[in-house]
Amino acid sequence: MKAALFFVIVLVSGFSAGTIHGLANFVTTEPFLDEAIGIENQNLFASGEEKDTPVFWAEYNAYRVWQKGGQVLAGGILGLSIGSLFGVVFAYSRHVLPGQNHVKKSLVLAGLMWFTIFIIPFLKYPANPPTVGDPDTVVLRAILYLSFIALSGFGAVGFYRVYKKLQDRKKIFAFIGFAVYISIVFVLMPPNPDEITAPMELVNGFRVMSVTAVTVFWIANALILGLLWEKFQPHKPLVKKV
Amino acid sequence: MSSSIIITSQSVPKLVIAVLLVIFGFGLFIVGFDQGHLFSIVIGEEAFDALYLHELYHDMRHAAGFPCH
Repeated sequence: MKAALFFVIVLVSGFSAGTIHGLANFVTTEPFLDEAIGIENQNLFASGEEKDTPVFWAEYNAYRVWQKGGQVLAGGILGLSIGSLFGVVFAYSRHVLPGQNHVKKSLVLAGLMWFTIFIIPFLKYPANPPTVGDPDTVVLRAILYLSFIALSGFGAVGFYRVYKKLQDRKKIFAFIGFAVYISIVFVLMPPNPDEITAPMELVNGFRVMSVTAVTVFWIANALILGLLWEKFQPHKPLVKKV
Repeated sequence: MSSSIIITSQSVPKLVIAVLLVIFGFGLFIVGFDQGHLFSIVIGEEAFDALYLHELYHDMRHAAGFPCH
């Protein structure tokens, strides 16, 4: 395999998809974030913690610009991160993935990874907008979320190894095994300790948009990586004339 | 007349895999979970109050499903 080419393809596809994710958030999650932060501000005024003054709004507008613009950069970095994992898994699994070309193969893998390390953990610990979440529990919530991602991801890898060892007729038991395993994990993992303190219409709308934008990321990452892989064929050995 | 031979193997390059896994872990930590830890290495305890990266990544952190605050 051409190492440098493989490395560049993985990083370019991850960063590009992450940037698309950041831009997509402007039309998907951003209106909900603004609404939630508006509620947070009203709560601050009501409790007397802040005063509704021009100074407050000047500071607020300054850091909201920072937060909104930052999400494009954050998307790029998160894209590099998740895209790197995707590239590693793709490099090892492309031989066994279904599909006649690398675009189809990468889309299949993206679908599997989207489901196991995003959707399944999301069902247990869904995204929440600002106003929801006690700062005192943030470390616990981070540990729970990361643990569930790891349990689901490593579980999928483990049951894939079982799948490979089983005979054709019995391969279905690997899927059933994973379903049972992840259901047990789902039930045993502690729930999110925080109460939902925002209107459910806002929270549910935000969650739908969060899933939509993350799905856009996975599709974009798969398409870009697959197309670049198909065009540059980094898996082919380097041939030198001597 | 020249002949050609294959110099490299088809195996996945281990060093690249290692670097990509480091990028994965580091990127996931700073976007998803950092609460001032990274900058605290340089500016100390102040980083946990200032939360520079946290503010920069705030909207994406919520949107991508990570616990933010």
